[in-house]
Amino acid sequence: MGAGETYVKVWDAPVRLFHWLLVLLVAFMFVSGNLKGDWMEWHMRSGYAILALVLFRILWGFAGSTYARFSSFVAGPSAGIAFMRKLLARAPAPVAGHNPVGGWMVLALLLALLFQVGTGLFANDDILIEGPLAALVNKATSDKLTSLHYWNVNVLLALVAAHVLAVLYHAVFMKENLIGAMFTGLKRMPSDAAGGVVARFTSPWLALVLLAVAAFAVYLIVKRPF
Amino acid sequence: MRTKLMVAAISAVALGGVALEALAQAKPDVLVKQRQAAMTLQGKYLGPIGGMLKGNAPYNADVVAVNATYLENLARMPWDGFDPSTKGEKSKAKPEVFSDWAKFKAAADTLEAETAKLGAAARAKNEAGVRAAFGGVAKACGACHDGFREK
Repeated sequence: MGAGETYVKVWDAPVRLFHWLLVLLVAFMFVSGNLKGDWMEWHMRSGYAILALVLFRILWGFAGSTYARFSSFVAGPSAGIAFMRKLLARAPAPVAGHNPVGGWMVLALLLALLFQVGTGLFANDDILIEGPLAALVNKATSDKLTSLHYWNVNVLLALVAAHVLAVLYHAVFMKENLIGAMFTGLKRMPSDAAGGVVARFTSPWLALVLLAVAAFAVYLIVKRPF
Repeated sequence: MRTKLMVAAISAVALGGVALEALAQAKPDVLVKQRQAAMTLQGKYLGPIGGMLKGNAPYNADVVAVNATYLENLARMPWDGFDPSTKGEKSKAKPEVFSDWAKFKAAADTLEAETAKLGAAARAKNEAGVRAAFGGVAKACGACHDGFREK
């Protein structure tokens, strides 16, 4: 850490756990979805887990800690373009939470994941396996949603690649260790900028409650007990 | 000698008739419909066996024997529907079916072999054998879809 720099806590434990669990589950989804066969049982279970996590993250985006909230990072186009300029000029651009472009990426990834899980619920493999909601629609609709499920894999891969490349860009050209920050929750900031960081952290117990709510919602969707 | 000639003549007429009939039926869009129908029916008879093996329904050896036998026959039906004349028809068949015919045929043969194993086990009312053969059938379906069917 250089002189005049300090560590500031920005990511709470729920955000960090969410992030890395999602990484593991998405990787598993990619592998199991390609292996098919007996792996599909676990592909589906893992999909339910991802749905629960994403629903939790949306709730946490309204009720969570300062930098977890959408209101703290969802920026308009002008802020995004201004930030991109700084980034491409490799000018220092420390941001405590998500930067404006990173905020777009969060939204894009959450939406693409929702789309992926949503289509998967209705998908079928034309052999033996179908999503838990495939029975609600006719075969043609299920087939259409299955095609979208396959097609959106490319969207997700592109988003993940852009996300990883952006983080590497920050590491190499901006000397910002965003990966470490997502593990520890601590971000290295210039001391003068760090002074302005006012973060309020929501109780992790609320996160647990919201996760339980999200999991129950997924249970209702998948099992349709009513 | 006369009998032999007669047999030969009848055979020739019969074979010619078969060939003519085949030609008369060879409308490409019909061939596509027929091969799709054969595979749709495979799904119809495969599904219940899968459901029983998963425990979603009680195992019924008689139903399994009937389904597996249908399946064994249906598994032989689609392939002559992949006539080169159907290349331009709208279907999920990838061009590789025609450009890599040997591989496609091998995948088809695998399905025929696996469904024959399943049929034999099912008719013998051998539940363990059915269980063992079922995975091979499902795998054969999937392997061919992966390589030769649009997503």
